[in-house]
Amino acid sequence: MTDARRLGIMKLAGSIFLIAFAGAPIVWMAVISFARHPEFLARGASFAFSLGNYRDILTDPSLGILQYLRNSVIVSSISALLVTAIAFVSAYSVTRMQFRFRSSIPIVLLAVSMFPQISIVGYLFRLMTSLAWINTYPALIFPYTAIVLPLAVWLMMSTLSQLPRDLDKAALIDGASRWRTMRSVILPIAMPGVISTLILAFIFSFNEFMFALMLTTDYGARTIPVGIALFTGLHGETPYGQIMAGAVIAVLPVVVLAALFQKRIIQGLAGGSLKG
Amino acid sequence: MILLPVIGTLITSFYRDVAFMPRALTFPDNYVRLFADSRFWQSVRFTLLFTLLSVSIELILGLLFALLLNEALPGRGLLRIMLLLPWAIPNAVSARVWELIYNYQFGILNYLLMTLGLVSHPVNWLGTQSGAMLAVLAADIWKMTPFVAIILLAGLSAIPREIYSQAMIDGAGMRQRFFHVTLKLIKPALVVAVLFRTVDSIRVFDLLYVLTGGGPGGGTTSLSLYAYKYYVSGDLGYGSAMSVVVFLIAFGLSLVYIRLGRFREAVQ
Repeated sequence: MTDARRLGIMKLAGSIFLIAFAGAPIVWMAVISFARHPEFLARGASFAFSLGNYRDILTDPSLGILQYLRNSVIVSSISALLVTAIAFVSAYSVTRMQFRFRSSIPIVLLAVSMFPQISIVGYLFRLMTSLAWINTYPALIFPYTAIVLPLAVWLMMSTLSQLPRDLDKAALIDGASRWRTMRSVILPIAMPGVISTLILAFIFSFNEFMFALMLTTDYGARTIPVGIALFTGLHGETPYGQIMAGAVIAVLPVVVLAALFQKRIIQGLAGGSLKG
Repeated sequence: MILLPVIGTLITSFYRDVAFMPRALTFPDNYVRLFADSRFWQSVRFTLLFTLLSVSIELILGLLFALLLNEALPGRGLLRIMLLLPWAIPNAVSARVWELIYNYQFGILNYLLMTLGLVSHPVNWLGTQSGAMLAVLAADIWKMTPFVAIILLAGLSAIPREIYSQAMIDGAGMRQRFFHVTLKLIKPALVVAVLFRTVDSIRVFDLLYVLTGGGPGGGTTSLSLYAYKYYVSGDLGYGSAMSVVVFLIAFGLSLVYIRLGRFREAVQ
């Protein structure tokens, strides 16, 4: 067998393995979500198709799945917008203006982004209790903005430092203010980086678990990962069919984002960690 | 903004701060208690073992995936999307899927193992120490290998093709090219992937909370999960002391990262 041929077979086997590795649990989630009897494997029965699980969770408001999804989308969208806006402005000032300690900013950002959430959650709980914010959107939006911010600033800095300073200079000479230069000259050409940051910030907020678990109590603000995690039946049983249907609905937003913005996400993840 | 809560946690860790009891400064009682707490040491051991195993396996598998995706392949875009999915799905949601896969009676894992004749009795994945360890490792590897692969892929795609053709002209075989060219050139990406993953793995929480609840017998309780249990039970002082330990481990490791990062700049 020639080298090229052996390589071809390896690539094919690798691709099949990758698809099976990544896809199997997701496929199984979808299969069970459509199963009339989620425990059919134990009974020696075969799979029976049903939309019942979806009908149950979508029509029974006491299960709250749609409300959790709504909370998640609202909280993550606002956090992502807030974080990206703050990150863009701070990264612009850091990359365009001269001041002391400028060079140590990326390292500080990196160190801060590695803070374990557990070392913050107790304090947050107390703070949100005293503000009477427990189980409200702001109780999640502000912490999410804070924890995603270091990464977002890092990403925006790596985007903005690649844009030539001459652009700024030209605009400033033409009489535009700093603010206007940033908004009308730099923002449009930095758009790809801004979109990467927005999407990553959305995914990180959407997937956050510990804060949402601690700082929300019911469908008023509970996010969908917590909703799915705590999903149990009324009589203590575990309704896997409904849970999997809920899981499919829960992952839809991120799956759609991943499929549509695959390149942006990969660039963001890789750029955020490799360029400094 | 983010430092304030950490300092708040540090201060709380010096106090006896238990629900329905007067707050009192008792430093260093909480830390002395940690030393004598065998469950604390059990969670330290679990956290470190989990981190070591998950990060090394994710690194090897991630490198293989990155090498694959760096080749010209039909359907490469689709492969990349497939790879992104485990990473993009919330941990708490995929943990419920794993819980179902590992189910003793009707989980597909036992079904497949029995059908293939690999085991004669169903395995109690989540009910035994070693089973639960394997179960959480597999779930973590599934989710985080894509992240490692993406970082390494960025490193790989930055290697100019000419280096390989030159190495081939110089008579380097496939194995030599891999060890002397590829691995050497993606070393910065490897460092980044290892340290990001290590720090992330040290603070593992979601997966364990949902999949095993830290059991059986506390065998899969990470430091974060153990601290969380004290927070929930109302003992904020002791929980904070434990959080400080998690923080110190993670912070120490990020200092290592910064050192290595500098080292990288110096080398280039």
